[in-house]
Amino acid sequence: MKQNITRKDFLKTLGATAAVTTIALSGCKSETSEQTTTYSEGDIPKDKMTYRTNRNNGDSVSILGYGCMRLPHKDNVIDQEMVNRLTDFAMEHGVNYYDTAPVYCKGKSEEAMGIALSRYPRDKYFIATKLSNFAESTWSREASMQIYKNSFEYLKTDYIDYYLLHSVGNGSRNRSGWETFNLRYIENGMLDFLMEERKAGRIRNLGFSFHGDQQVIEYLLDNQEKYHWDFVQIQMNYVDWKHAHDIDSDNINADYLYKRLTDLNIPVVIMEPLLGGRLADLPDVLANSLKQRTPERSVASWAFRFAGTFPNILTVLSGMTYMEHLQDNLRTYCPLEPCSDKEIEMLMNIADMYLKYPIVPCTSCQYCMPCPYGIDIPTNFSFYNKCVNEGTIVEDKQSAEYRKSRRRFLIEYNRQLEADRQTEHCIGCRQCVSHCPQKIDIPARLNDINAIVERLKRN
Amino acid sequence: MFLATIAGLATVSAVKAQEKIVDGGLAIIEDKKAPKRNVSLKPAGSQSLKNFTSSCTGCQLCVQSCENQVLRPSTKLENLMQPEMSYERGYCRPECTACSEVCPAGAIRKVSREEKSSIQIGHAVFIAKNCVSFNGEAECGNCARRCPSGAITMMHSDPDDESSPMVPIVNQERCIGCGACEHVCPARPFSAIYVEGNEVHRMI
Repeated sequence: MKQNITRKDFLKTLGATAAVTTIALSGCKSETSEQTTTYSEGDIPKDKMTYRTNRNNGDSVSILGYGCMRLPHKDNVIDQEMVNRLTDFAMEHGVNYYDTAPVYCKGKSEEAMGIALSRYPRDKYFIATKLSNFAESTWSREASMQIYKNSFEYLKTDYIDYYLLHSVGNGSRNRSGWETFNLRYIENGMLDFLMEERKAGRIRNLGFSFHGDQQVIEYLLDNQEKYHWDFVQIQMNYVDWKHAHDIDSDNINADYLYKRLTDLNIPVVIMEPLLGGRLADLPDVLANSLKQRTPERSVASWAFRFAGTFPNILTVLSGMTYMEHLQDNLRTYCPLEPCSDKEIEMLMNIADMYLKYPIVPCTSCQYCMPCPYGIDIPTNFSFYNKCVNEGTIVEDKQSAEYRKSRRRFLIEYNRQLEADRQTEHCIGCRQCVSHCPQKIDIPARLNDINAIVERLKRN
Repeated sequence: MFLATIAGLATVSAVKAQEKIVDGGLAIIEDKKAPKRNVSLKPAGSQSLKNFTSSCTGCQLCVQSCENQVLRPSTKLENLMQPEMSYERGYCRPECTACSEVCPAGAIRKVSREEKSSIQIGHAVFIAKNCVSFNGEAECGNCARRCPSGAITMMHSDPDDESSPMVPIVNQERCIGCGACEHVCPARPFSAIYVEGNEVHRMI
């Protein structure tokens, strides 16, 4: 006990000293900040954020939108203190679009963002949230309505700036994307209701996020006269631009979707600009080739510059877990330097080469989780992808590196995943498959990884 | 109110495989419990239960060498400190011969990897009431998929009914008793398939 007090006193003194030093230092800094560039480790300018104007209502939206699907956690619960800090830093640097959903972060994202954002005047930020009635038990009008109402309560607001039908086009168990869409939004009258809410001003912009079934998006866009979509959220990045269809034949290339929406004059919000971090962690050869061009910038910055280059993009969402993510993205977007035609061509080449790697197209969105049989699906995939990127899966038993690589692989696998969370426990029940917005055949890919693990263990 | 609904649903869903309401998180996995084995398991190289129990000095070298967490010292009075073998935390991987290489007492004689893959130390036994496939909870077949000796086939429980649930059929002539099936079986805390020891190990 006594020791505790001493420690406290010590920390107090330390804190006071630190505060004095910080004040002194910040005094010095302000003189030099003029010289710092936007993208090395210096200060990030507070007034250089690029904004896009929403033609429909004049909203001036920061090109960087805060995605709240990957909020920081501590001991398995959201680290609210860090969420507040991240929000403060984002607000300070001009980020004014915050995208959350009732299902994110085990259902805790809206509440956390409500706490963080309500400390600011309501007219200083835009809230985007969604009708995430994925589970069959929430398809009834009452249950869907409850999800809608809860959003207002958690986000401590009486209007929502951007409201989305969540992941339209995705199927559910034994049902196509089209059937699921009808059950979630049409037959229960929810879409009509939301349009009424827009009329009443409680929803300022109504849109949808899209994954999957083309029939659904074509229907929704063909009926633009009837629905008046104010914006649409799509998955877009330099790999999906021309290759979404190559990755899975049910996916639609982003260049088509972007053009279709732009022709209809509908502003586009981008999700997965970085494919859940995969485009920040490219295979070594590709990463080096990007770094060589702009050694002071991150690999991720290329993906964000690509996304921001297109004029009809309202905002680019990034799920920023760490302060370093936020700062890196701010460096890219304060201000945005659009990609030249030549740079876009170069990124298209990178995308072509990227597709040759046997990477699992998982973005760690967690929609498949929790797996009822305990598998940690995204961690298994990210572990495997990392090994592919680093070229550490050695096939040739004769190779001098084999023993070392094998050992490293197996130790790392056990370090990242408890035994009960590993691929061998996947029973192939396929409950995860319909949840995956990327249409990954999860059990098959887990089985492939298991085969590699088994092969290495046996030899 | 909504939270109450969710909580309600969560309780219901804990019983069945849970319906997903929100995204993320790991399902809580109940620890496996060791089944009651009529004949206790002993590692390949032990030759027989009798040879093992009369030779083992309880030195713990094999326990330390076991990377698959299969061996642990017994706390029972009749064989105190002698290793016990069970598959809750891992199974006796066919390529591993570590314990047979360290045993100084002749309780586990040295076996090669090739020998081990044909020594039957026990045989798998099916308990239908625990099986998620038999109960219609999910399509499974994980025991058959992971069996290193290909001893398990999934078959319809009713040969005359194509829609009847699948159950594992064990070919006792191929089973070596490694426990992969027992370990990867999703039924918890007791697996739907477990290994019963052989009093005398045999070559298959």
